[in-house]
Amino acid sequence: MAAFDYRQAQEIRDAFKTHQVKYLFIGKSGAILLGFPDTTQDADLFVEKSQSNCERVVPALHDLGFQVTEQQAEEIRRGKDFVQLKNGPFDLDLVFAPDGIEKFEDAWKRHVEVEGFPVCDIDDIVLSKQATNRQKDRESLPRLLSFRDWLKKQKS
Amino acid sequence: MQENYTHDAVEPQVLREWQEEFEAAAKRPLEQRLRYAFIHTYKPVLDDAPFRAFDTTEQYRRWCEANLPDWLGYGRV
Repeated sequence: MAAFDYRQAQEIRDAFKTHQVKYLFIGKSGAILLGFPDTTQDADLFVEKSQSNCERVVPALHDLGFQVTEQQAEEIRRGKDFVQLKNGPFDLDLVFAPDGIEKFEDAWKRHVEVEGFPVCDIDDIVLSKQATNRQKDRESLPRLLSFRDWLKKQKS
Repeated sequence: MQENYTHDAVEPQVLREWQEEFEAAAKRPLEQRLRYAFIHTYKPVLDDAPFRAFDTTEQYRRWCEANLPDWLGYGRV
């Protein structure tokens, strides 16, 4: 499988817009969209966990080329907190309840748009990484925190 | 917990190098930045199923800790 690229990010943006899916890029992929120069392997999307939004995700995934079976689609519609997809053109994590962020609406209020891509605020990305508390996050967080400082200086 | 993640302990020289990298990245177009950022390598176990869904994020974290090799770094500290 090829790595995720700009065209696929555009396809997510366009398919989710077509189906009116409310979501934000989060995790390292979100930070990268904000300008963080680092590497990652997949795209993480924070998706609003409402009944109607979960229903709209399924046709958007089909449009993107994910081979979601009816049983899998039903699991997404029912509302899971975490869905990992490796049955499409790229790896995608759908995170409906990220660590460290209480409500989607709060993150939505703070989000930024980067060339039409909706992205979590850098503070939310950092909070989520801190709350997850994994070894791989611990290793990358000092650099991410430094990037946050730098980004805030650019804005001020 | 957050105290564990401060970057205060990072050497000033390293911080300066990071800042230079942020400056340089900001000059590149988004398309180019994404081309450099996303890589794909095989992750044992994690990549071996086409679909997984978890009722809670905590269940997912526990699944990672119980099933993935430690060196992937998905275990919590």
